[in-house]
Amino acid sequence: MSPEAPPSGPEGKRILMIMTTGPEDPDKTYAPFYTAALMAAMEIETTMYFLMHAPELLRKGAAEKVPLKKGGNLKMFIDMARENGVKFLACAESCRDLCGIAEEDLIEGVQLVGSATLADLALEADSVISF
Amino acid sequence: MAIVNGCEFPDDLLYFVERTQMTWVRVEGEGLRVGLTDPAQTRAGKILHVRIKPAGTARERGKPIATVESGKWAGPVMAPVSGVVLEANTEVEKDPGLLNTDPYGRGWIVRLRPTQPPEVDQLLRRETALARFKEILERDNIRCMRCQA
Repeated sequence: MSPEAPPSGPEGKRILMIMTTGPEDPDKTYAPFYTAALMAAMEIETTMYFLMHAPELLRKGAAEKVPLKKGGNLKMFIDMARENGVKFLACAESCRDLCGIAEEDLIEGVQLVGSATLADLALEADSVISF
Repeated sequence: MAIVNGCEFPDDLLYFVERTQMTWVRVEGEGLRVGLTDPAQTRAGKILHVRIKPAGTARERGKPIATVESGKWAGPVMAPVSGVVLEANTEVEKDPGLLNTDPYGRGWIVRLRPTQPPEVDQLLRRETALARFKEILERDNIRCMRCQA
């Protein structure tokens, strides 16, 4: 390595995380947000895409009602992921047809997107992880 | 040494307090030693993993020089000033609990050579740092404790 080198790790790579689990299974909700927060801290461009029942987790006031076995609730992990720079995208069709969520019902910072966006993101990402 | 809410703040250190960051800096000749403050290690909880950028890595102020994981918290440790990593603390990589038990001593994280020395003057000192920490400790209801190894 030269005396002054830019980082040569995962920085700048892109990971897409697909989230399909909602509040019906709290045990499956925490790890994706924790992992996404860590990836973002490693300067990996991290996007979480929420579809099927997963957008329910992003409904205002919902995360506070998802209890975790380790104590506390899901909100602190969602906040941590956002603080670290994770991007949240919610499937517009899932929100409308499965969850009955309007854009104004979602927590701040969530972008509603169509299904075609998922294809674009998956093709552009260096890696795709599904939960 | 000042103590607020059980959190220790040595008088001889400089402090970087921005967004989620609460790190300390010790000036050592041409270099700087950097670590987590007492409230930062308390907020993280028992630290299980730490990854530090290797020696030679150039980082701008506010870019990560390490990542820390505790099981309840995962986040970056930002460079308090722009610089080049001179040394990563390999002891703390093997035994991350040192960040909790000895944050101002053996739990240091990196040594940096600053590349923008005027940025060092922007770090907080003594009363200014303490006033900022008091605000944060009050706001986030942090009371410090040291995990046992």
